[in-house]
Amino acid sequence: MKYVAIIRQVPDGEAKLREEGGRIDLSGATMILDQMDEYAVEEAIQLKEQHGGEAVIVAFGPERTKEAIRTALAMGADRAVFVKHEGDADPVTEAKALAKVLAEEAPTAVFTGGQQADWDSYALGPAVAEALGWPVVAWTTAFELLGEDRAKAKHDLDEGAQVVEVALPAVFTTQQGLNEPRYPTLPGIMKAKKKEIKEIPAEELGVTGTKVEILGQTIVQIERKQKILDGTKEPEKAAEELIRLLHEEAKVI
Amino acid sequence: MALDFSLTEEQIELQKLARRFAREQVAPVAREYDEKEEVPWLLVEKLYEIGLLNVSIPEENGGLGLGLVEEVIIGEELGWADMGFYTIPMASELGITPVLIAGNAEQKERFLRPLTEKPALAAFALSEPGNGSDAAALKTRAERVGDHYVLNGTKMWISNAAEAEWTVVFATFDPELRHKGVVALVVERDRDGVSFNKIHGKMGQRAAPTHEMVLEDVKVPLENRLGEEGEGFKIAMLTLDKTRIPVAAGSVGVARRALEEAAKYAKEREAFGRPIIDFQAIQFKLADMMIGLETARMYTYYAAWLADRGDPRHIYASAIAKAYASEIAFDAANEAIQIHGGYGYVSDFPVEKLLRDVKLNQIYEGTNEIQRVIVARHIKKNIP
Repeated sequence: MKYVAIIRQVPDGEAKLREEGGRIDLSGATMILDQMDEYAVEEAIQLKEQHGGEAVIVAFGPERTKEAIRTALAMGADRAVFVKHEGDADPVTEAKALAKVLAEEAPTAVFTGGQQADWDSYALGPAVAEALGWPVVAWTTAFELLGEDRAKAKHDLDEGAQVVEVALPAVFTTQQGLNEPRYPTLPGIMKAKKKEIKEIPAEELGVTGTKVEILGQTIVQIERKQKILDGTKEPEKAAEELIRLLHEEAKVI
Repeated sequence: MALDFSLTEEQIELQKLARRFAREQVAPVAREYDEKEEVPWLLVEKLYEIGLLNVSIPEENGGLGLGLVEEVIIGEELGWADMGFYTIPMASELGITPVLIAGNAEQKERFLRPLTEKPALAAFALSEPGNGSDAAALKTRAERVGDHYVLNGTKMWISNAAEAEWTVVFATFDPELRHKGVVALVVERDRDGVSFNKIHGKMGQRAAPTHEMVLEDVKVPLENRLGEEGEGFKIAMLTLDKTRIPVAAGSVGVARRALEEAAKYAKEREAFGRPIIDFQAIQFKLADMMIGLETARMYTYYAAWLADRGDPRHIYASAIAKAYASEIAFDAANEAIQIHGGYGYVSDFPVEKLLRDVKLNQIYEGTNEIQRVIVARHIKKNIP
């Protein structure tokens, strides 16, 4: 059996980002394996450890993506297929290229992050499934293999959670709660160097450009309101105000 | 063209792993272990799991066989998060090094392999209540009786000792012979007559266990002796020539943390209507911190590089690195407190702990005065 994790390389959450000519400049940012994809990598490795077979990394992106691939290999994946593409690509274009790789790999199950930390489209996993005509289970929090062609999974919906049984192969998008991603290990790092990374230029898979052209990018800054109520003078009034704020502004009660 | 400051791909990955571990696992609990004066065994176990514990053990004994450059990479990251915690793996390497230097194949296998099979530590015992810098004046006696030695005496300031599987103990079989009368013996923790007293009330590095090690008629078999009788002192010095490099690396980590904390605070804190980083008095402090950090890091790598190549210049280079890095780190921590003002003096901010921790880096593994003696010895001998 074969388990695939699709990964991307994204800026570290603590990275300093700069806007440069209407685009986000990533040149000074620390780039990491997308933390949402880490759940996918962990799941593929765990399945391989439990049931045997192979954990394969499939990645799409520019040359630097290899660093993220090596991290996944150091965590314990067996080998990688790297679709190399410099420049922008929308998720559907990307998914079509990845689908060709997956059709050839013929995996038992495919995992990838439920969202992507850099262009948060939520689209990659569903688009890959669409391109292959495979089922998709989004926001998976539990996964169980039932033989070679079926799996049981729990996933989150807006209204709550659902447990489903699904025919394999299928695509599962991953999130926090599915597992506890391991750290790469130092022996793993040393072994990863010898593991195969098969490189395929994106053009060979039919990627000629992007269907969604980026005209400009800006950084969203979220600032805390830091509203402090003084409860020392009129505590009852302050408590009432607190309840009003929690109800009307924060909308949590 | 040979001069090249780049790390290998593997070293970059190692740095990333150590940095992530330091940030996610060590830094958040550093204050807690410091306050409780408790050994963070959970962190030692995690460090073992990711392969960063006892990294110098050779591959043939089950380890990774890494060099000092790699130890320096790890040391800066762990020192950044908690110098007190870093002292634990660092002191373990200090215990391992004499076995690497003077142990035979059988001893390496017997003592080192167990340290690769589970989270376990080693230790090194040279200092005594009455001797530190004058290492050859040690009083712990090793009396040869048939096929074993009988040890009597007290060792002081021993990092890891009670937590370690074994400790390399330096003792004298003839005090008259001074440094020529020293023998190095591996003493397992559970031998009869070995006991430990934990030293409490340390100013800093309170997560790191430090002990007094009491030896009362401890029988140690001959096969636990490293090298020959009389070679103990040389083994100790050859060890310290290497292991003070990781002390420098930990200091570099502390200096980097001090700079980062001070810069962050100076950008946020306002006085006279603007962030204090706009004032030259603060800028100069920060610039000096960075000058110290960059030069100490470069020189520490240089010393490690020399030692890994077996270049004898590492003897004085490691002394320079240790003294210099620990001093710029102490100054950086001190100035970081000054930049924080009153907030720097209380435990809500991490900078007061940096100062308390890094003070020890100027003292252990040879005081900075002894490092200067080593440098001066080189000058006397080799500089015309």
